[in-house]
Amino acid sequence: MDIRDFFQKKLLPVSVFLYMGSSLLAQDIVRYDLYAKDTVVTYAGKEKRAIAVNGQIPMPTLTFTEGDTAEIVLHNLLDEHTSLHWHGVQLPNKEDGVPMLTQLPVKPGGTHTYRFPVKQNGTYWYHSHSGFQEQIGMYGSIVFLKRPDDPAFRKGIDDLPAVSLTLSEWTNVHPHQVQRMLATGNDWAAIKKNTVQSYGEAIRKGHFKTKFVNEWKRMEAMDVSDVYYDKFLINGQEESQLSEFNGGDRVRFRISNAGGSSYFWLTYAGGKITVVGNDGNDVVPVMVDRLIIGVSETYDIVVTLPVDGVSYELLATPEDRSGFTSVFVGAGIRQLVSRLPRLDYFEGMKMMNEMMKMNGDMHDMGMNMSLQQMDMNAVMYPEFSKQSSMDGMNHDSHGVISNELVTLNYGMLQSPHKTILNPDIPVKELRFELTGNMNRYVWSMDNKVLSESDKIPVKKGEILRITLYNNSMMRHPMHLHGFDFRLLNDKGEYAPLKNVMDIMPMETNVIEFEANTEGDWFFHCHILYHMMAGMNRVFEVGDYQNPLLPDKTKAYKHLQRESNMLHFMAQNDFATNGNDGEAMLQNARWSLGTEWRLGYNNRHGYEVETHFGRYIGKMQWLMPFVGFDWRYRKMGKDEHEKNLFGQVNKKDNRSAFSLGVVYTLPLLITIQAEVYHDGIVRLQLAREDIPISRRFRAGFMFNTDLEYMVELKYIINKNMGVRAHYDSDMGVGVGFSMNY
Amino acid sequence: MKSRSNILMVIAVLLSHINGFAQIKHAKTETINVSGRCEMCKKTIEEAGSSKKIAEVKWGSKNQLATLVYNSEKTNPDEILKRIALVGYDTERYLAPDDVYAQLPGCCQYERTLRPASTSGHSEMEMSHEHIHSGSHQKTSQESSLPQNEVQLQAVIESYFSLKDALVRSDVTVASEKATALIAAIKAVDMNQLSAEEHPVWMDVLKSVTERSEIIAQSAELSRQREAFALLSDEIYKLVKVSKQETTVYYQHCPMYNNGKGANWLSKESAIKNPYYGSKMLTCGSTTEKIESSVKK
Repeated sequence: MDIRDFFQKKLLPVSVFLYMGSSLLAQDIVRYDLYAKDTVVTYAGKEKRAIAVNGQIPMPTLTFTEGDTAEIVLHNLLDEHTSLHWHGVQLPNKEDGVPMLTQLPVKPGGTHTYRFPVKQNGTYWYHSHSGFQEQIGMYGSIVFLKRPDDPAFRKGIDDLPAVSLTLSEWTNVHPHQVQRMLATGNDWAAIKKNTVQSYGEAIRKGHFKTKFVNEWKRMEAMDVSDVYYDKFLINGQEESQLSEFNGGDRVRFRISNAGGSSYFWLTYAGGKITVVGNDGNDVVPVMVDRLIIGVSETYDIVVTLPVDGVSYELLATPEDRSGFTSVFVGAGIRQLVSRLPRLDYFEGMKMMNEMMKMNGDMHDMGMNMSLQQMDMNAVMYPEFSKQSSMDGMNHDSHGVISNELVTLNYGMLQSPHKTILNPDIPVKELRFELTGNMNRYVWSMDNKVLSESDKIPVKKGEILRITLYNNSMMRHPMHLHGFDFRLLNDKGEYAPLKNVMDIMPMETNVIEFEANTEGDWFFHCHILYHMMAGMNRVFEVGDYQNPLLPDKTKAYKHLQRESNMLHFMAQNDFATNGNDGEAMLQNARWSLGTEWRLGYNNRHGYEVETHFGRYIGKMQWLMPFVGFDWRYRKMGKDEHEKNLFGQVNKKDNRSAFSLGVVYTLPLLITIQAEVYHDGIVRLQLAREDIPISRRFRAGFMFNTDLEYMVELKYIINKNMGVRAHYDSDMGVGVGFSMNY
Repeated sequence: MKSRSNILMVIAVLLSHINGFAQIKHAKTETINVSGRCEMCKKTIEEAGSSKKIAEVKWGSKNQLATLVYNSEKTNPDEILKRIALVGYDTERYLAPDDVYAQLPGCCQYERTLRPASTSGHSEMEMSHEHIHSGSHQKTSQESSLPQNEVQLQAVIESYFSLKDALVRSDVTVASEKATALIAAIKAVDMNQLSAEEHPVWMDVLKSVTERSEIIAQSAELSRQREAFALLSDEIYKLVKVSKQETTVYYQHCPMYNNGKGANWLSKESAIKNPYYGSKMLTCGSTTEKIESSVKK
C-alpha cells in the first residue's frame, strides 16, 4: 500500500484542520515498520554480505508531512547491535539514534520505537550509527513534505514531481578491513586506483622534483579520497532510467549523499542545474553547471528535459573520478554528459608542496580561504586547462570566456527567509582546528581524538558560534546532530541553514546556532573512516536526563573506546634465507610492535625486537619507546662484534632492554636511537615502501652495529607480494611476503 | 627479398585478422547506426568501441553503420555504443555529449541526424545566444555615445582588458596580438585631448606602459608575458583612477603570484578570473578596490 498516497488523499485535510485548530489535539501519526536483516549482494561480481531493510538497499524512503508525528519501529533481525539516526532532523535527544550517546544499542532480536514530531520540511536521510552498517546498506532517504498552505510553499518548485536519489558506494573489501588497512598504511587502494604516484611515474612525467619535495616534506602520495570502491550507486543501482518523464518536464531531485567517504560531482546532460534546497532547507534558486555534494549532505535540484524523445543523463562522479553512476531522466535515445577526466595528481602534489610547511601545518599564503569558493583541487582538473585552450582557438576576439563552468559553492547559498539569531541571547564562542595525518590515519580536532576529550558543556538557550579551521590535508564534511546552523557567508541576515559543512584544507568557516534543545549532540566528520578514527566531539546542552541511558558516564566511556579501536597488522616474508616479519597492535596514540628475523640455522641467527611506544604531536613523527631485544647467532658471516662507537656488542645470545625514540625525517626516513641497559647505543636509519613503480617498492636499513639490509618488493595483491632482499646477517633471500 | 617480406606481411595481417575474430568467444554480431564523416572518424569510432578480446567494431562512412562483434558473456552493445558516444559520435542509442562533439576536428563535424529535433520553443542554447547578441549591441551603442576625450584612454583600457582576458585563458598568441593592439591604442592617444587630471598621469606612465606592452607583444612565453603584465597593471591602475570609467572597474589582487609577493590586475567583473595562473587557479584572489563608473547611463 502506498502510505504517502493514502496520507495525502485522506489525512491531509484532517491534519490541516487540526493544525488550524489546536496543536494540542492528537496529531497524525505516520508509522513505518523497518526490518533489518542480513542479505547477500553481488554489486561487484562477488557475493558479499550486506544489510537490507524491508528487503531493500537503500532502506525504504520515508515520507511525512510537516506537522505529523513520525513513529518508526526498528526490528533488529541481525546477529549484531544496530541503531538508526535521523540525519538533519530536529528531535528530542533520546530519538537521535546514536548508540551509547542517546540510547542503548538495539540488541539482536530486539525492537526499538523512534517517535518524534516532524517540525521541518525538506530532504533528509537516515542511516545506522552502529559499527560499519551504513557502508553495507543501512541508508535511506527521508522526505518531509511542505504543507500546501505553508506561506513558504514555492509554486513551480514545491509542486514539481520529485524523485529521491540516494548516492552511495560499494567495496568488496569489508569496511572494517578498509579501516584497518587505512590505519596500517596499506596502499592497495592507490594501486587499484592507479594513484600510487611512484618515482617511476614522476620521472616519466617530468615531475621528479615535485615528488622529491613532497617526500622531503614527509607526505605520502596525495589523493582526494583514500578508499577504493568497486561500484558507485544511485538508489542501489549503477545505472537506471526514469522513463515516466517527457520533453518539457521539470523534475525535482532530492539527493542525499549516503557514501561512506566519497564526495560526488553532479552534472546533467540537459543543461543547467537549478539548486533549490540544501540539507533540508530551502535556498534561493541558483543555476549552476555542476555541484559537488559532500558526504552526508543533501541537495534539492531541479532539471528540465529540453526535448521529447530523449532521456538525459544525470551523472554522479566521485571526487577521485575512479568511476561514476547515472540516472537517465526521460524516455528515448540517451543523451550522455561528458565524463570528468582523470585527475592530474602531480599538479595537486605541486600545490600541496607549496601549501605545506615543514612542520606539517598548512599555509594558505594569505588567501583567507572559506566556503568552497576556491577549490585548490582545481589544479588537478584537466577539463579546465583543455577548456581554456579551446576557448583561445574559438573566441579570440571577444575576450569573453563563453563556456566557463559555473560551479556551486557555499558563498552562493542564500536562505529565502531571514535566519539571523536574536542578538540579545548570550553567545559562547568556540574554535576548533581540524587536525590529522595521513601517515597513521589519525583524525582529530585540536589534535585530540574523542577518547581524549570530555563532552563540551553548553547552557541551554545560548548561542554557540563555532569557528572551524581545517589544518589538515583532507576536506571534512562536519555534521552537527539535532540542529541546523547558520553558515556565515556574505548573505548576512539570509545566511543559509545547514547541518553539514564541508570544509576544505586551509579554509576557515564560522557557524552559529541557538542551542535550544537539551541533550548530548554529536558533532563529527561524516567521512565514516575519519569518524571512526576519532574526529568527533559531543556538545552537552543543559542537564538532560535521558530515560534510555541511565548511566551516561559509563556509556560515554564506551563511545570513546569505540572511536579509538585497536587495530592489528602483521607481515612475514617466507624467504629462502629465513623469515622476516613484524606484527603491530596500535591505536591513535599507542603502538606495540615486534619485528623478527628468523634464520633457518644458527649461523644466520634469530632476532626479535619488541617496542612499546607512544606517538607524539599532530603529525606523529616522534615515538619514544621502551624495547626488549633478543638475539642468538653463531658467528660466521659478516662478523662485527664492535659497533661504530667501538662498543663491543655480542651477537650470540643477547637479551637487552632499551629506551629509545623513533623519528620520521624528511623523505620519510625513520631514525631510531636507543640505549640498552648495558650502555650500548644503537642508531638506525630505515625507509620502507619507496614507490618505484605502481607495484614495486624498495627499502633499506642500516645501523651502527654495522648491520644493513636492502629490499625490493613486488605487490601482487592486498595481502601478498614477492620480495628479494640482501641482509648482512642472512645474505640474499627471495620469498613470498604475506601481510594482514 | 622484398616480395618475400610482403608475403610475410600479408600472412601476418591475415593471421591477425583471423585471430581478431577467433579471440572473441561467445561472439554475437549486431549492426547499428553510428554517425560520422571521414576516415579520422572511422579510426576514432573503431578504437573507442573495440576492446581487446571482448569487442571489435567496424564502421563504414558510406552507410553510417557500425558492425559490432562482441563476447556476449562479457559485454553488450550498450557498453560499446556508450564508449563511442563518449568520444563524440552519436549512435542509435546514445547521443554524444555536446561539448565532446564540439571539440571534434572540423573534418569530423558530422550532421547530428540521430538527435530528435527540438519540439516546443527554443532550446536554452539558442536563447542564450540571443542574449549575448543583444548584450553586445548595447555595448557598442554605449561606446559611441562617449565624449571624444574619454574614448582616448578608454581604447587603451579596453585593449588592456582584452589582453587580460587572453592571459586568463593562458593564450600566448592572442595575448601577443592584444598587446600589439594595446600599443596601437597608446600611439593613437592625442595628449591634447586629455583632461587636466589625466594629462600628468599619462605622461608619467606612457613610457613604461609602452615598454611592457612591447615585451608582451614580442614574447612567446606565457611567464614572461605575465611578468610584464603585472607591472603594466600597476600603471593602468593609475590611469583608471584619474580617467572617467564607462563601467565599474575592479582592482583585484592575487597573493600567490611571484612566490607570494603578489600581483594586481583590473577587471570589469567582480568575479575573480586570475590572469596570472589562468584556469589552474582561476578563482584565486580578491577584489581590493571597486572603482565606480562615472558615466551616467
